[in-house]
Amino acid sequence: MIKLENVTKVYKGDVTALRNASVDIQKGEFVFLVGASGSGKSTFLRLLTKEEQPTEGRIFVAGKDLGELSHWKVPFLRRNIGCIFQDFKLLSNRTVAENVAFALEVIGRPRHVVQSQVPAILDLVGLGDKAANFPHELSGGEQQRVSIARAFVNRPLILLADEPTGNLDPATSVGIMRLLDRINKTGTTVVMATHDRGIVDTMRRRVIELDRGEIIRDQARGVYE
Amino acid sequence: MAIKVDYVLRETGTNLFRNFTITLASVLTVFVSLILVGSSLLLRQGVEKATRRWEGGIEFIIFIKPDATQEEVAALQRELEESPEIESFTFVDQEQAYEEFKQMFSEQPEMVESVEPSVLPPSFRVVPVDKRAVSVESLSKQFADRPGVEDVVSATKTIRQVQELSQRFTFIIVVVAVVLLGAALLLILNTIRMAMYARRHEIEVMKLVGATNWFIRVPFMLEGLVEGMVGAALAIIALVFFSPVIQGWLPPPTEFPLFSGFIPGGAELLGTCILMGITGCVVGALGAGVAVTRFLDV
Repeated sequence: MIKLENVTKVYKGDVTALRNASVDIQKGEFVFLVGASGSGKSTFLRLLTKEEQPTEGRIFVAGKDLGELSHWKVPFLRRNIGCIFQDFKLLSNRTVAENVAFALEVIGRPRHVVQSQVPAILDLVGLGDKAANFPHELSGGEQQRVSIARAFVNRPLILLADEPTGNLDPATSVGIMRLLDRINKTGTTVVMATHDRGIVDTMRRRVIELDRGEIIRDQARGVYE
Repeated sequence: MAIKVDYVLRETGTNLFRNFTITLASVLTVFVSLILVGSSLLLRQGVEKATRRWEGGIEFIIFIKPDATQEEVAALQRELEESPEIESFTFVDQEQAYEEFKQMFSEQPEMVESVEPSVLPPSFRVVPVDKRAVSVESLSKQFADRPGVEDVVSATKTIRQVQELSQRFTFIIVVVAVVLLGAALLLILNTIRMAMYARRHEIEVMKLVGATNWFIRVPFMLEGLVEGMVGAALAIIALVFFSPVIQGWLPPPTEFPLFSGFIPGGAELLGTCILMGITGCVVGALGAGVAVTRFLDV
């Protein structure tokens, strides 16, 4: 599903974010990306959505060589990838339901699809009764659930999560991880960058550790360190 | 992928009203500059129409009696050909004279109807070698008493002044208008840049979930186009509405025939309006296009 072949990413000013990284992630896997800040976790994720281009090496996502993918096809790649973030990136002037619907509307899904999918996905993340609320009326955990609903409503093949529990307390984080686990069980490949030792050690999934842009560990059923 | 029409219209509308004052500034700048372009074009066309027979250095016209004989005309032509003081000349027969008359008085059909080609005098339009007023005067007098000649008319000072003034005037107006159009373009560009900044979170999410570049761009491009179009439409309405008003200020053509040509005809007005409309749209689309390609990193 995701394959990196000797990928190096050097930013302007000779900052090496990723050095000769090779990874193969199968469909349906759940992978933790761990490492200190600046170790290249975010760059790793941004390369997968072609927000960044590798300086060297090749990247395959959902069977497509990203280097060969023309500029105008990138949006269609991103429809196969759901993304969630530490800061949720919800639109504050839209309700919960509108935030989720927005993701479907802007990729041209017909109205009846939007009307049936949105309540269903909100029920799935446990926010069926908050559809008409605005993001600022929700707790952090609920907001993250909205952003997961938005990322997953289009049933992507891959879910990328950049420190999704970074702003949440441990109890709330557990709820979010249960949700991601459920999504993973539907066959969605999940790649999650995290600093959360507790989560990694409890879940015991594949762990890829980065240190200054190099993969120093790739362990099945691994722990934080 | 089909871009939903209602989505695009809603977004464009929201953008237009979000920064209403700036939108208004863009529209008004387009409006003022196009009014200047339009009115100077009409003025220029009017002057050209009124002074058409004096174009190309023609200094005097020999009008021939409608009943002059072939020999008399031939003699005149020979004299003009042989004279070293004459650079060139053209013969305008009755049919051509009638065409010219119809053009000059295109706004007064009753005058055109009352005239037939047979009552209009044919004429020689003469370009002398020496264009100083004194020598033109003496040269033209030579022909006044030739057989078959009805009258000799030389280009008056007024006509020359009107031509020159209109040239300078249009030049200045066009320069001002071009500067204003440039300002309008920059204003539109900035309005759209602000609209994009106001919507940066939406744009970020749109890119995230895989909205196509065109889906993101089109509402912004339409916004610019609409600003240009509205400005142009206002200018056209103003021009169409005010041109009869300005006509009212001029003396009636019967008292001062030179001004008859200053009244822009329907065809000229239409042509000018089309040009204004196109210019407005181009300015709007160009401003939006630059903003979208420069500042919308998709």
